[in-house]
Amino acid sequence: MEIGEEKAGEALVIAPFGRVDSVSSGELERHVVGRLDAGARRVVIDLARVEYISSAGLRVLLIAAKRLKPPQGALALCGLGPSVRTVLELAGFMSLFAVEPGREQALARVGGASTT
Amino acid sequence: MSPLFLRVEPRDGEPFRHELVGEAAVLGRSSKADVVLADRYLSRQHARLFLREGSWFLEDLGSRNTTFLNDRPLAKPTPVRPGDVIRLAESRIVVEGKEGTPLSPPAGDGLVGGADERLPESTIFRSATDLLAGPAAGADPGGLAGRLRLLNEVHRALAAPITLEALLDLILDRAFAHLQPEEGAVFLRDPEGALVRAAMRRAPGLPGQPLYSRALAKEVSEKGLAALVTDARVDERFAKAESIVVSGMRSLVAAPLLDSEGCLGMIVLSAKNRLHPFVEDDLELLAALASAAAMRLRNIALSEETARRRLLDRELELAHDIQMAMLPRTFPDRPGIDVSAALRPARSVGGDLYDVMADGERIWLLVGDVSGKGVGAALFMAVTKTLFRAIAPGSGSVAEAVARMNRELCRDNERAMFVTVFAARLELATGELEYVNAGHNPTYRVTAGGKVALLAGPVDPALGAVEAHEYRGTRLRLDAGDALVLYTDGVVEAHGAAEEEFQTPRLESYLADCREASAERIVQGLLEHVDEFVGGAPQYDDVTIVALRWRGRQS
Repeated sequence: MEIGEEKAGEALVIAPFGRVDSVSSGELERHVVGRLDAGARRVVIDLARVEYISSAGLRVLLIAAKRLKPPQGALALCGLGPSVRTVLELAGFMSLFAVEPGREQALARVGGASTT
Repeated sequence: MSPLFLRVEPRDGEPFRHELVGEAAVLGRSSKADVVLADRYLSRQHARLFLREGSWFLEDLGSRNTTFLNDRPLAKPTPVRPGDVIRLAESRIVVEGKEGTPLSPPAGDGLVGGADERLPESTIFRSATDLLAGPAAGADPGGLAGRLRLLNEVHRALAAPITLEALLDLILDRAFAHLQPEEGAVFLRDPEGALVRAAMRRAPGLPGQPLYSRALAKEVSEKGLAALVTDARVDERFAKAESIVVSGMRSLVAAPLLDSEGCLGMIVLSAKNRLHPFVEDDLELLAALASAAAMRLRNIALSEETARRRLLDRELELAHDIQMAMLPRTFPDRPGIDVSAALRPARSVGGDLYDVMADGERIWLLVGDVSGKGVGAALFMAVTKTLFRAIAPGSGSVAEAVARMNRELCRDNERAMFVTVFAARLELATGELEYVNAGHNPTYRVTAGGKVALLAGPVDPALGAVEAHEYRGTRLRLDAGDALVLYTDGVVEAHGAAEEEFQTPRLESYLADCREASAERIVQGLLEHVDEFVGGAPQYDDVTIVALRWRGRQS
């Protein structure tokens, strides 16, 4: 799976691309955990280019949320399409994440610098 | 100055260690030498190590067959450092910086040097495939006869089933019988492609461990070339090259274990006996032996792989049976209810679960779906199911039971596994129902009148995700004749032709026809519907269905 990345000041934006299913979620998990292990503390996961996310993919978001619990870290999601939003809602997880419409708002939410 | 030690490996004696003390040390065959080496080819006083300005220097004392430092003939006194290798005739001395390293090198892959190390120019490479095509015109007929005899022997021996160890033994056995090396080794590629020494044989009385050049191994195993290094030591050009042959070998043949699929490893033979350096006929013979062995090695590797896979399949089959045995097949037989359930895993093990159990005058229902697939999901499923059985009976409310299960599942859950569940409890006497939806597909209620509706209520997080969450129960009173249908997303997300999903409208229209059906009929009929929709496509996700009909108070 393709995973885009952008540094915005102290914050890191991770933007997976395509389907996050039981196969590709392993790759996303390794990527995200690798960044967290390397010390990333303000993270935005931009799901704008994710067309589908399975429960295995939700697990990766949960891992990030657990490891970036305030005040040690900050995580925000953005760019949720209807399908991704539905999966998050069905699992009862919407309340667990800071969700913003776009990358700018999400970066502001985690206290990172604006990219513009 | 830190002390220097010599690890001495004489040709005709046991290896020993010597600490350099004083100002100088003479190395030689004479009993008057400071370091006496049992090697009949050595001069009585062969070489000398002496201290000058705090460094140890090595000089040749006009010996018959000179002194080599790191495989270069010594022209003038030269300083030595730990790690240097001194060669005197057929004996080898390693210079060491500290005491205590083992006398024989630690067991490694048996390869030394870097893969880009320069090989001596005396090395001849031949394509192993060309060598196997047959002897060149004018080839020695004796060599041809030897090759045929060897192949006959090998093929005869390989007709019977053979283990890897026995095969490696046979290869070295035949190589020693026909090519008379002093040392021989078979290297095999491990799953990562690295060469590992799998078998080794040596003529008795040789000191040290045979070590072979990594550069040579790379040429042989990666390019499928057979290699012949002739008397490298007397080759003048050898002095310019880096060490390829570490333990004093002077002649060496190597052939790849090559079959149509690729290279499995290599065989290397080496000999010190300068009277019989290997020749090109030997190379041909070894290439033929290697090729016969390679075919058999591939078969052994394949059958080991098959056996491993079969074992894994059996383990999964067992896991499947254990998992299925955790799910109730018979249901509480209480007046007033009719229950049925089915779970069909997409793989041998899965992450769906259900449970139906009686608790006094109440019935507990549970349907769940663990995140992900495979063995990890199956184990989490087993834990969830066990917790439900342990926690639910006697709990004050469904919300309380689910909250306790959640706390247990959150404990040490580093991998952030979670399970969506729909849990419910029915009072048999009154039809009063309490339920909790933790991230799961909402349950359907099919009324006696044929109305199909989702059970409304809040959706709380799936279990295992938020430790301190307060789960919220919803209460409602069933009417006599109402049926509940619990299911997992494998039902509505079942993929039919053209990637289309079954979806809730199909489920609802099916349920609308179920107002009088038995619970078993509801479950089996839905499975049939899904099957029909999916056609021959492979099942993508676990499918679970539980149906319960409450007939009202029975007196």
